[in-house]
Amino acid sequence: MTMSRFFATLPRWLVLLLWTAIVMLPLYVLVVSCLKTTQEIYADPLGLPARFTLDNFVSAWERANLGRNLVNSFIVTAGAVIITLVVSAMAAYPLSRFQLGWGTSMLALFLAGIMLPIRLASVELFTLMRALGLLDSLFGLMLVYASIRIPFAVFIFANFMRVLPRELEEAARIDGAGELRILFSIIVPIVAPAVAIVAIFTTIAVWNDFFFPLILIFDNDLKTVPLAITNFVGQFRTDWGMVFASLAISLAPVTAMYLVLARQIREGAGIQGAVK
Amino acid sequence: MSRHALALAFVLPALALYGLFVLYPLLTSLWGSLFQWRGLRQMGFIGLGNFVRLFEFPNSDRMFGALGHNVLWFVGIMVLQNGIGLFFAYLLFWSRKGAAFFQSVFFFPAMLSPVIVGALWRLLLAPNGAVEWGLNTLGLHEGRLTVLGDSQWALWMLIAIDAWNWMGLPVLIFTAGLRQISYEVFEAARLDGAGYGRMLFTIALPLLVPSISSVTTLSFINTFNQFDIVYVMQGVQGNPNYSTDTLVTWFYRLAFGAEGSVGITDIGLALALGTLLFLLLSVGSVLMLRGFDRLSVRP
Repeated sequence: MTMSRFFATLPRWLVLLLWTAIVMLPLYVLVVSCLKTTQEIYADPLGLPARFTLDNFVSAWERANLGRNLVNSFIVTAGAVIITLVVSAMAAYPLSRFQLGWGTSMLALFLAGIMLPIRLASVELFTLMRALGLLDSLFGLMLVYASIRIPFAVFIFANFMRVLPRELEEAARIDGAGELRILFSIIVPIVAPAVAIVAIFTTIAVWNDFFFPLILIFDNDLKTVPLAITNFVGQFRTDWGMVFASLAISLAPVTAMYLVLARQIREGAGIQGAVK
Repeated sequence: MSRHALALAFVLPALALYGLFVLYPLLTSLWGSLFQWRGLRQMGFIGLGNFVRLFEFPNSDRMFGALGHNVLWFVGIMVLQNGIGLFFAYLLFWSRKGAAFFQSVFFFPAMLSPVIVGALWRLLLAPNGAVEWGLNTLGLHEGRLTVLGDSQWALWMLIAIDAWNWMGLPVLIFTAGLRQISYEVFEAARLDGAGYGRMLFTIALPLLVPSISSVTTLSFINTFNQFDIVYVMQGVQGNPNYSTDTLVTWFYRLAFGAEGSVGITDIGLALALGTLLFLLLSVGSVLMLRGFDRLSVRP
């Protein structure tokens, strides 16, 4: 068998399907385990549940206070995405489209942030947040996430805005439109793909993070989903059905987003990976 | 309003947030590493004293242990995640049919919080868990599976799980990179009788240098920031017996007081470690990007 036939046919598909199985099997176990009792999970990890029941979800929901945590995560994520989008689009606009002597160095200052390991500054961040009265505050968490995501967002916006023709805003300027108006009603709609990339990747990063809630949030009622889950998993490790159910609840929102936006996420990840 | 003032007004909100919550804490951390600390209070200036302590007993053991784990982690990710990822991308490049489907499936785990990934795999790998059941059923293993409690195996299991988690990313970046190479180059090589293996090494790899550069730098930064999976699966001490400890888990213990049984913080040491890591990451990634830049050929 020659190399070209090897690549051309069956083995190639087998390799790809094998990895598909390695990705899907753990997720399958997670999903079926949500519907089983702990005894069933031990006896037959891969089998379907004997009887369909949502008991695990009910007890996970009741004992883990997940509803509250989901609301917190939604608030923080939505807030961080909106702040990141607005301030980054505003910053990228003059930096990419005005002739400014200092534009390039300012852009470089922002871009440096893509590589800065902010976690290593978490002691001073903690002290700062305490001084500002932003510990144990969803608003504070929102600001931290937005600030961390700004460099990437400015980079993406600047790249998309740079290539637009200059006539776009010139006509509007002659008609007397203000710069904010030009930015948000002319430029931003044209760079909608950039808005989508920034929004999607900010959402994923913020929704999934647990490091910053770990150091900045202590009140149980203010914990986000990932932080609540870490505590919950440790606490109820003997009740596997319930733990799996709580994991399933917390991954449902991103899974739904992925199913709807798979294409944008695939392409956006390519762009993000290329710049990060 | 002049154009400069207008531009500044537009930049200001982003700059204020970024300056306050990213640049300011980072700069004060670097500066603070030169001081002595009592709890969260900054005392006198001691120059490089904290850095010296990092390299002295008993801290040096933790330091070199964690550093070694991070280096192994980087090597492991380069082979298991990026090497195999490149192989998958090359397969997908030659079979455009279904490529989008496989890319989406492979990338899916990257959507999940490390908390979910860690908890899921801890449950799967636990004694009595699904993996033990599977291996025993297939006859590949007998008795209790205790890889996560075994200091020989634990680190490698975490690396493999991390690779499972992020495999989709190199696949996406490398397929995107391969598609930018003009198809005729491969056609010409094929007419000259080059096989798929030969084409990978003589055409694809040299032209993929920009993609390899970003994947490698990204993996470098992520590996040396490794915290979440360890925290969720093995606890903040990097159990068992510090065998999965990383520089950031150690940093976390020093900074937030989980070092030792009584929970002592050592801010000075934490800031020195943070500064060292910051230098390692920034110098390392700049050197990497430079080096790859020199290697890259223009098609």
